[in-house]
Formats: sequence, C-alpha cells, structure tokens
Amino acid sequence: MPLSRLLPIIPLAPACLLMGVMFLLPFGMVAVTAFWGQAPGSWLVDEAFTTRNFARILADPYFVLVIGRTLRIGVEAAVICLLLGLPVASVIVRARGQVRGLLLVLMLLPMVCGALVQTLGMLNLFGLAGVVNGALKQLGLIDRSIRFLGNETGVLLGLIQAFLPLMVLPLVTVLGRIPPDLPAAAASLGASRLRVLQRIMLPLAGPGIAAGAILVFSASVTSFVTPQILGQGHVQMFGPLVYQQAALVLDWPFASALCVVMLAALALAAALLAGVARLAARPRA
Amino acid sequence: MRLRSKRAWRAVRRAVFWGVLGLGLIGARPASAQDFSGKTLVVGVWGGDIERLIREHVVAALEKETGAKVELLLGGTGDRLAKIYAERTHPTMDVAFLNIYESPQALKDGVVDAPDPSAPYYKTIWPGMNNGCYAMSLNGLGIAYSKKLVTSPPEWADMWKPAYKGKIALPPYPGSEDDGVLAVAARLAGADEHSADKAFSKLAELKPIATTYTSLDQVFGLMGSGEVAMAPMIGGYAMAALKKDPDIGFVYPKSPGPVLVRDMLCLVHNSPNPELAKKFAALALGVELQTAYATELYFGPTNMNVKVPPAMANDVIASPEQVKSLLTLDWPYIITQRAAWTDRWNKEILGD
Amino acid sequence: MSIGAAVLTALVYAFVLAPIVVLVFSSFDTAPYFSFPPGGYSLHWYATAWQSAEYRDALGVSILLAATATLIAVPAGTAAAYALARATWRGRTVVQAILLSPLALPLIVWAIELMQFYARIGLSGTMLGLALAHTIIVLPFPVRIMLASFARIDPALEQAARTLGASPLRTFARVALPLAAPGLVISIAFAFLTSFNDVVVSSFIAGARSLTFQVRLYSQLRSQGVDPITLAIGAVLAAAIVLAAIVCERLFRWSRHV
Repeated sequence: MPLSRLLPIIPLAPACLLMGVMFLLPFGMVAVTAFWGQAPGSWLVDEAFTTRNFARILADPYFVLVIGRTLRIGVEAAVICLLLGLPVASVIVRARGQVRGLLLVLMLLPMVCGALVQTLGMLNLFGLAGVVNGALKQLGLIDRSIRFLGNETGVLLGLIQAFLPLMVLPLVTVLGRIPPDLPAAAASLGASRLRVLQRIMLPLAGPGIAAGAILVFSASVTSFVTPQILGQGHVQMFGPLVYQQAALVLDWPFASALCVVMLAALALAAALLAGVARLAARPRA
Repeated sequence: MRLRSKRAWRAVRRAVFWGVLGLGLIGARPASAQDFSGKTLVVGVWGGDIERLIREHVVAALEKETGAKVELLLGGTGDRLAKIYAERTHPTMDVAFLNIYESPQALKDGVVDAPDPSAPYYKTIWPGMNNGCYAMSLNGLGIAYSKKLVTSPPEWADMWKPAYKGKIALPPYPGSEDDGVLAVAARLAGADEHSADKAFSKLAELKPIATTYTSLDQVFGLMGSGEVAMAPMIGGYAMAALKKDPDIGFVYPKSPGPVLVRDMLCLVHNSPNPELAKKFAALALGVELQTAYATELYFGPTNMNVKVPPAMANDVIASPEQVKSLLTLDWPYIITQRAAWTDRWNKEILGD
Repeated sequence: MSIGAAVLTALVYAFVLAPIVVLVFSSFDTAPYFSFPPGGYSLHWYATAWQSAEYRDALGVSILLAATATLIAVPAGTAAAYALARATWRGRTVVQAILLSPLALPLIVWAIELMQFYARIGLSGTMLGLALAHTIIVLPFPVRIMLASFARIDPALEQAARTLGASPLRTFARVALPLAAPGLVISIAFAFLTSFNDVVVSSFIAGARSLTFQVRLYSQLRSQGVDPITLAIGAVLAAAIVLAAIVCERLFRWSRHV
C-alpha cells in the first residue's frame, strides 16, 4: 500500500519544495562559492577551485576567536533568556482575561518596533550619556559614567532585550497545557522540588524550552544590528563580520567560506549535544 | 520541428528588419521628442535628503520630459555595489551612486561604463574629477568636535593629544572616512597611504577608540555629554546637522588639508535603459540639483557653473582654490588593500 | 504564584519595554536628532509622518509583504511540523534541520546568491521575488513552534479519533490543530513580525516598487541618522497593536487561545 505509506510525508511537500528551490539551491551556490576566489586587483569572482579561503580562516586565530565568541554569546543569551523566561511565562500562563492579553502583546512589542530603532533606544538608555548613567550620577552613586556598552555585557543586554519574546512565547504555549495542580499534587505525594522539576515540569515543558532555546540562540548567533551598534566595534561577532566581508569588502567567496565554517561548527555542536543528551537519557542503574 | 524553426527564423528576421527600421526612424528624430513612456529607469541612491532633492529636482523633470517612470532604489553604496556586481550579466539598475574609491574599481571590473568625454555634462565638471564615473559632489573629510572639550577648531594632530585619549570616535571599517584617517595618520608619521605599517601604528596610538558609530546621532549625543571629543566626519551632512546645534563644531583641517571624498554617478554597464540613464545624468550633474546640494546639504558642486552664495563660501567646497587645497589620496591603491586593511583594522585598531 | 516571580516579571517587562518607552518619548522631541531625554515636546514628527507619501507607501509594502509571507509560510510550516512530529522514519531529523537552516546563518550570503539567481530568471526587484524570499526567512518559525505544540499533544487522542472513523485530514483539523492553537497564534505573530523587521535580505532583494519600511529607515540611518518620522511611525504602530489587542480581548477573548 504505497499511498498510505506516502500519506504521512505529503504534508512536508510544500515546505520542502519552497526550502529546496529557494534556500538549498542558492545555499548550494554559497558552498561552491566558498571554494572560489577573487582575481588579484578585482572584485569579480574567479571560478577556479581553491581552498585559500579556508586556509585563511583556520590559520588566523582572529576568525576562530570570533566564531567561538559568537557561539558562546549565543549560548549565554539562550540560557539567560530561559532563566528569565520561565518565571515570566509561568506568570503569563496564570494571568486571566485582559491582563493576560496585555502581558502577551507587551512581550511582542520588541518585535514590532524593529531592531534598528530599538537598539538606538538601548543606546540612549545604557550609553555613556544615557539615562541610566544620568540617573546614577544624579543619585550621587557614581562620578564617571559606567561603560555598559561597547563590551560583551552590552551586546548581551541588547540580545536579551530583543530576543526574549522568542523564548517566552513558545514557553507560554507549552506551560499553558500543564494542569496547574499537577506539580502540587506531585509535591504532596512526597516528591522533592528537584524531582518535580525533573520528572514533571521538564518533560512537559521540554518541547517549548527546546523551541525557545533554538530560536534565541540562532537569532543571537546571526544577529547583525545589535552587535554592530551596541558592541561599538569592541565586540566583533559573526553577523557583522560576514556583513563586512560580503557587503563592504565585497569578498563573496571569503564570506561564503566563513558561513560554511560556521555551519560546520554548528553541526559539530549539535552532534555533541545530541551525544550528551543520549548519554543523559540512558536509564541509570 | 524543422518547419517550425524555419517559421520562427522568418519571424525573427522580420522583427529585426522592422526593429532596425524603427530604430533608424527614432534616431532621425530630435532627441527631446523621444518617447520613453512605459519605460522605467531604476536609480540606486542614498535615502534621506539626497533622495528628496533628487526627487524634487531631477525625477519630476525627467518624467515630464520623457514620459518614463523613474524609481529610486534606496540603500547604502555597499548594497548597490553588491547589486550591480551580482546582476552583472543581467543588470536591472540603470544608474548607481557610488563612492570615489569604489568607482574606478567598478570601471576596471566592467560593471559600469566609462565617462564619455564627448558628453556635454562631462565638460562642465572640474577637470580631472571623473575617475571611473562622473563626479557628483565634492566633500572633504574633516573633524566634528565638541566645543565643550575642544575650545578652538582642531587640527588632525590634536586628536593625538593626551587630553583626548579614549575620546575619539570612528565609523566602522571599511569606508572612506576610515581610509582617509589612515592616510592622515600616515602623513603625520612622515609617510603616506602606501605605508600601511606607519598608518596603522600611528592610528593605533588613539586606542581605545571611544566608539564605532553607525549614525551621526550617536556621535552628537556622546559629544553633548562629553564622552566623545572628536570624530572624523564627512563635511556635508555634519555641517548641515551642526547648524542646529551650537555646542558642536566642524572644521576642515589644514595640515594636511581635508581629504577629498566624492560621490560618483555611475552608468551601469549594459543597463536596460542607457539613453534614459544619460538623460538622468545630464540633469543630476546640471546646475539646478548641484545648487540644491550645495545650499541645502553643504555638498560641494562638481559643476563649474554652479554659483554658491557668498555666505556659504567657507562651508562648501566650490572654488578652484578650495578644490586645490584638498588632499587627494591614491584611491585605486587603497581599494586593492581593502581586504588586508580590514583584517588589520579589526585586529590592530579595534582589538585589545 | 510566588511574589518573587511577580517581581521578576515586572522587572523583565520594564527592561524589555524601556527602549520602546525611549522611542515613544523621543517621537515627541523637538530636537533634530534622536536623543533622550527629549529637549521639548511637539507633534511635529507625527504631522510630518502623516504627510509623507514615501513612508506611507513603504509601510504599505511592508504590511502586504509580511501578510503574504505569513499566509504562505504558516500553513506550509504547520503541515510540515505535523508530519515531522508524527514521523518515525529515519532521516526526519535531517529534514527538520533543513527546514530550520535559514535560522542558523547570516542571510546576507544567501541573499547575494539569490540576487544573482533572480537577475537571471527576471524576478529582480519584483514583489513576488521579495515575497518568496521573505517566506523562506519566516518559514522556520512555524516549523519550530508547531513542532513543539504538536509534540505536546498525546497521540492517543488522535488514534481515538481515527478509531472512531475520522479521516486523517479530519483528525488533524478537528483534534490536533485546535489543541495546537496557541502555537499557531504565536507562529503567525513571529512570522509576520520577522518579515516586517527584516533589513538585510530586503536591502538586496527589494526593488524600488517593493521598498520596505525598514529598508527606507536603514538607508537613511547610515547617511544622516534616524529620521524622527520613523520614531513617530514606530510609536503609532506600537500603540495600535496594544490597542488592537485590548479591543480584541474584549470581543474575542483571544488570549485564552494562547
């Protein structure tokens, strides 16, 4: 019965077709371009096979450092968003009526106003001349402005502000389905808090946590505007680096190679994570 | 199969015949009577005031004259450059505004057409300015400074004074401002832009760079609060913005003189509407738009026939003497160094 | 609910909303450039925004584009997520990774390849080309979120419906989809807003007729700074969305479904 075997795959067709033609084909070209170069003194792509771009990336600690830093900041952003997002999502889930609607839409607002204008808002808040520094000076707590921005903390602040909705809202969709008295019931049966978390909350909220973490991590790792403006040149991350090479230096083969290396790093990280998860899931004796 | 291809071939021949005849007839008519209705000219340009002035002074007139539609595609030079290189075999953009240092390279790579010395609008531009494309405006790289921290108009060397350590802001690399600053640093170290080592080590003395700025608002805000003292900046926009703020100044330094930077108007090679593009160029390089550029944006005109009001003579580069005082860099050389200098900038100027 | 969680929630909201408050204040500012706190207050920028045909057009393009991309991506993504959530065959994780891959890379490199591709097939500068590109940008959101939603639904419910004679399509529409409604609402919101806010891809793919609001804003930001008109428009958008949410809550009680 080939039709009934095929039936479960049919819903995949539109998305896979779109992704195949519009993303994988052009991206295949990116992978090919990564092995091309530029003729000396020209910005035109020279279609002769070369591994020069990869040699340059791997030989220069700078690029490896940027990729490493980007991955680390992505993980930090995802973890902090999760730690902040879980309590916030649980408050939203328990709110009712008008309050619930308002909390949901306010959480979406950072995505409404756009990264550009918002990042400039962050600059006006946390910059050396910003509101926060001004208030601290007024209160006599500091003499000289604190440098919140232009370092990793500043970039992280911006990423969390911009991408927290990507964590909170998926969490709300899964936490809303957990009966509110389930954890209490488990506790009354003598389960410790840790055990309630481990055996009840995590398995039930797990898909939401995974979705939120992936969205926040990916958005942070590829972010361009936030590190560019809030890093102020002192925190080079992957997004601005690729933009610099692709749109300003106009070295597309090199920018493509950077992306291929990043993809390899991500695949490696994912494989490691999957391995760890498999180990952790193995039933303990 | 064969029959069909024969018929198709006959149709092609007929089309070519009528096409040639039609073109001949059109060519025989006076140029102003050409009908471009139904055509769309695509022009890549910066957003903001430049877009507004081009709409007011060029687009309206050109649409009325030719019946064509003119569409402005907004973005930065990087976006436009990427577009005309990516669409090299099938261009969709007719006219692109680029920077002085990109246009000779674009010409060398064959994505734009060389300026035509026989065109009437070529001849009205200051001699020697049409490198790669047509020179659209003259600007100098000068210094914007906080009047609270810098009491008199500074020279380049003042940026290195200990009092301003950590209070100099620069835009992201690569860009004509940063290349200009590197060339100035090299000259202060007794060399020029061909000595990258001297340029970078001199500029690295300014570390830590207070901030890399992506918009003028950012710098002016920081100057207002005393966190940034000076920032190299291109004259036009800075000057226009500063007329509104008494606490911030702008100066064209003298030793070395301000670095010449230029907007260039490029006709894209093989573009869909070459004739319309030339008409656009004639209007854009004409007296009306260039006068508006000068009086509203403080952009120096490249057209020798533009008369700048005497009150603005100090702010706008327009006279032959002012043009001569500008420092002209070896941009074709600088552009070949772009990839290498980007790496050096990332590490030596911004790194720890 | 503990007091701690409530206080933390309040602080988090204050942090997330602070830049938007800055934006709203600055939109009333009389100063010529974006600064906070403002020097004086006026409705000048609102009046200018109202009169600006260019910004109005760009906003129209952005909304149409985001709606189109959402309308294609959310159904396609939801269907794919359902198939993946119920799949047991080998290789499903590979398909899932491919559908999520646009999330993982800076899209500029892809956009440059797409631009060359479009120039060849004549899609350059068209609304269709831009809408297709945006569909790809937003597709991972419904896929990832609906995957989480469907994973949370007990397959036994669907099996029960099948046993009672419901067709697979009916089971999906009547059992799975209603249970996954919260994910659907969030998917639509994320898809729409991600498209609405894209700068990098649009600045390469958009044509003069399909110039989006963000591209217009960015093209000016880089030469002159923020046009305060865009602050006024941003403030109006934010206010409109909050207001719409409140009114719709009254009318439909939508938040129950999230």
